[in-house]
Amino acid sequence: MSEYILEVENLQKWFPIRRNISQVIKRERNYVKAVDGVSFKIKRGEIFGLIGESGCGKTTTGKLIMKLLEPTGGKMIFDAQDVTYLDTDAVELYKRKVQMVFQDPYASMNPRFRISDVLSEPLLIHKIGDSREDREARAIKALEEVKINPPEEFMERYPHMLSGGQRQRIATARTLILSPSFIVADEPVSMVDLSTRAEILHMMKEVQQSLGLTYLYITHDLSTARYFTDRIAVMYLGKIVEMGPAGELIDNAKHPYTQALIAAVCEPVSGNVNRIKEVPIKGEIPSAANIPHGCRFHTRCLYAKPECWEMEEPMLEEVSGVGHLAACRRWKEISGEKGKVSETA
Amino acid sequence: MDKILDVRNIKLHYLTRKGAVRALDDVSFPLYRGETLGVVGESGCGKTTLGTALLNMPTPPGKIVGGEIFLEGKNVLELNERQYRTNIRWEKIAMVFQGAMNCLTPVYTIQKQMMETIKFHREIEDDQALERIIKYVNLVGLSADVLKRYPHELSGGMKQRIVIAMGLFLEPDVVICDEPTTALDVVVQAQIINLLKELKQELKLSFIFITHDLATEAEVSDRIMVMYAGKVVEIGTNEHIYGSQGASHPYTRRLLAATPRLHQQVEQLAFIPGTPPDLLTPPTGCRFHLRCDEKMEKCMKEEPPLKEIGPEHKVACWRCY
Amino acid sequence: MKLNNIKRSMLSFWNEFRQTRFGIFGLITFCLFVVIILFETAIIPFPEASTRWRDISYWEDNPKGAAPVWVNWFTSTKHTPQKVITDVELKREEDSGFEFIDVVIPYDYQYDIAPNDIIFHAMTRGEVTLMISLLRPDGDEILLTEKSVNSTTLRDLRIPISTNSLDNVYNYVKQHESFENIKAKPKNVMNSMQVLFAKAEEGMLQNPASLQGEYQLKITAVILGEGEFLEPNLVISGNVFGLLGTDSFKRDIWSGVIAGTKWAMLIGLMTSSLAVIIGVIFGVSSAYFGGLVDMLMMRFYEIAASIPMLPVLIVLSAIFKPSIWTIILIMCVFSWVGPVRTVRSIGLQIKAETYVEAARALNASHSRIIFRHMIPQLIPYAFASMALSVPGAIVTESTISLLGLGDPTIVTWGQILRDAVSGGAVLQGLWWWVVPPGLFIAGMGMTFAFIGFAMDTILNPKLKTR
Repeated sequence: MSEYILEVENLQKWFPIRRNISQVIKRERNYVKAVDGVSFKIKRGEIFGLIGESGCGKTTTGKLIMKLLEPTGGKMIFDAQDVTYLDTDAVELYKRKVQMVFQDPYASMNPRFRISDVLSEPLLIHKIGDSREDREARAIKALEEVKINPPEEFMERYPHMLSGGQRQRIATARTLILSPSFIVADEPVSMVDLSTRAEILHMMKEVQQSLGLTYLYITHDLSTARYFTDRIAVMYLGKIVEMGPAGELIDNAKHPYTQALIAAVCEPVSGNVNRIKEVPIKGEIPSAANIPHGCRFHTRCLYAKPECWEMEEPMLEEVSGVGHLAACRRWKEISGEKGKVSETA
Repeated sequence: MDKILDVRNIKLHYLTRKGAVRALDDVSFPLYRGETLGVVGESGCGKTTLGTALLNMPTPPGKIVGGEIFLEGKNVLELNERQYRTNIRWEKIAMVFQGAMNCLTPVYTIQKQMMETIKFHREIEDDQALERIIKYVNLVGLSADVLKRYPHELSGGMKQRIVIAMGLFLEPDVVICDEPTTALDVVVQAQIINLLKELKQELKLSFIFITHDLATEAEVSDRIMVMYAGKVVEIGTNEHIYGSQGASHPYTRRLLAATPRLHQQVEQLAFIPGTPPDLLTPPTGCRFHLRCDEKMEKCMKEEPPLKEIGPEHKVACWRCY
Repeated sequence: MKLNNIKRSMLSFWNEFRQTRFGIFGLITFCLFVVIILFETAIIPFPEASTRWRDISYWEDNPKGAAPVWVNWFTSTKHTPQKVITDVELKREEDSGFEFIDVVIPYDYQYDIAPNDIIFHAMTRGEVTLMISLLRPDGDEILLTEKSVNSTTLRDLRIPISTNSLDNVYNYVKQHESFENIKAKPKNVMNSMQVLFAKAEEGMLQNPASLQGEYQLKITAVILGEGEFLEPNLVISGNVFGLLGTDSFKRDIWSGVIAGTKWAMLIGLMTSSLAVIIGVIFGVSSAYFGGLVDMLMMRFYEIAASIPMLPVLIVLSAIFKPSIWTIILIMCVFSWVGPVRTVRSIGLQIKAETYVEAARALNASHSRIIFRHMIPQLIPYAFASMALSVPGAIVTESTISLLGLGDPTIVTWGQILRDAVSGGAVLQGLWWWVVPPGLFIAGMGMTFAFIGFAMDTILNPKLKTR
């Protein structure tokens, strides 16, 4: 068994844009490059965070891994097996091992299904369990795993009868029922209340540790990512711009985009009320259909120099020796310049 | 300090078939001129309901069943609906609703929508209205050329700015913002927060900032009011709530403990087990006692009134007596 | 629990339904139609109307093109209504090997316009000679006819008096009427009934004034040798008839219309439910598969939707032997397109729901997603659209029947209308032949339209908020 459960190499997903007649004649093809060459490796038993603003391609990456979308290019290796393109049988096997938790647990369950229907659906699909009783027993076991007590009482309820926290537990139970080894969690706590958020993350972590799962945690929220994940990758316009151990990346961010994100986060501490917050970023995020040449962040970067847009796109490079990578040509200079810029701004 | 708004014992009940849901139960607080008051709590604690109560516009089947709202010393709840509409709502107290930015009509330009709103309230010439619109659009940090555009051509942050501008251009004294940053990305969130701070300073406005996110609240609000199950459990300055000595009500403390920190490695976030009580039949005693781990005998029987434990700092907890 | 839930949702649906006034109206008329269907044989005077609609002998005693009886309420001259007299006393006498049977049938005539005909019925066997005479209120007794029959089996003897009594009646007229008048109106154009029920005076042939009072029809039957004479009865064939009159083929319109109700209901419900089922599955599949499949399916749909149904239907019913089932089937082939667009757009919404994506992430099969996740959400819409397409189906069938391409073994409202048109009902002013079936078509259509509107208003907002 290799150290990595999932290796993604140069993964791409380009969505073609509808062309008009003259574009068809001129053979012009335009794409929204939602995911444009993403590479990362996730270790067995780790929680890997994928962070970025809306439209950066993090959810598309999740869907590619879930095989809800077919990649345009690149390679995915799961458990030492190439899973980029799979036939029907292989997909069935793969989808047993890889599961997904969705952002809105309520929306992710059919409102007409009872909890027992929700939980037995994966079993029916994968033809596991030979009787209704057997399937219900498995469902109850999964409910116990996510600390729903008493499980029998919940089986006959409908999703709308549950609280947000309970729903997300049920949604997690549904993913666990097939004993997967890898779970993609797409913003699992962004729709739940603050008090429940901690509860859900706690439960997910417990389940992860007791069952030895690996998570891909997709979020826009740096604070929960720091708390929840082991490693973080920051995405911008379809590409990873910085990646490293969670604490190291946040406390010692090198890429100007990561730095801007961190600066923008609110902290529950006193003394910020009368201060206008400096967010070292300018402009709006460009369209993924029209990615800037060179470093794709240069249009919004306060430190951009001609080399940033004239030269080829920077690759991820090691910046601190602990597996902390950043895709910025000028990260060393920026670390020095930082003080100066905030003074002038 | 000068109280622009003084809310006293306001009660708003949702009269459902099963009985009255006590969404707001004896809520009292002052709002000082030029400050931002934050309202925090879990969903269903009455935050948004409070906003609609201040507009005297409860969502049906809600009804204000008691209390007073003094605006500049005058009880505005005594006014009839027509007077309220022409003199108070939007004129003195405006609200930026949650998700309002998604409610811009997709078929009209921004200018047309803003023009309609302003002309609905004011008898004003077109060019004067436009002048005012441009003034406020500039004030929220946008250039006048967004006016010619349609909502779908704007980013989320721009739309939120437009909605804030629409809340401002009748020049109200009090602006209620309900979750104005929730659906936005962090960078845009920070920009909107900065905008609100600037507006507060420039226009000497008073804001009521409603959110469930304690971290945002810490950035924005001078004073914070923590609500639980339709009641105020703690109200204090930013320093009282977020300062180093910690908040005073167990609920506030536990909310804070459940908030993840960016620059701090937390091994385990504490969370509050259980859910807020059903307000059809609120529990006796302190409404939080079912989820509180510091509860005493008394908490289950008697309801703690708000007690002033310091200047501008009130707490409703028997532990503080 | 699940049953309970269905019960609860039905209850809440009912509570909302109750509040839509037109929904309730539709429901009441629907119940009326159901009652009509259930008690059909009890409420129509001709229970075999449905199966023997085109059997002339079934209707022969009825008047031709008679108006409904209730037109008497609105006219000063009273028409004679249809009357069947079965309760008859027989007096039997045996004399020298012959059996004499005397029958006296009283008839109280209080009208202004004489009946169409008087038809005498009896069951006879053997050699039987009959003598029929009429005793008028003024004391005149007129021998109407003499008739001999001979049959070896018991069979129905039917004697329509009007045609059999011409000679005798003409002779009677000659005693009273002036010569010029008799000259002007020869025997073959005389209406013997008019004369028989007219005052015996000059002008009784030209301008008869009705003689009201008790008439008696006297029948003397002589059975020669071995024979039988049973169940004599008299049909006064009136010139107003039943609730809705008769058509030119002597058929009772009321019976026809009532017997047609069940067919209308069957056609409407079968066609609409089949069509909606096909349409829903088609629309959902198109939405779900998307891309090229969606494009091809939508092009197919557009072609199907743009074929004009009526001409094709006419050609098809001309080719195939038109039976009600083939007509329903053919109508389905054309009306499934109705719900497709809406279903597809709702389907597209449901497809975008996270729970559908969640099911896909679990490797759920296409049919599972379509049938377990998508179609259940569409059931309310399907019901509403079913109710709304019933009227169309009924009208279409009527149109086909109107063109003479309906199922000849049954009676439908459309067919009644068609006969009315071809029978010249409009030209002859036989409005009772045209209006009732038309009203019933409209009524049935309205019933389902109202129910459909009510369901639509109740169920549609729920679909949107989901």
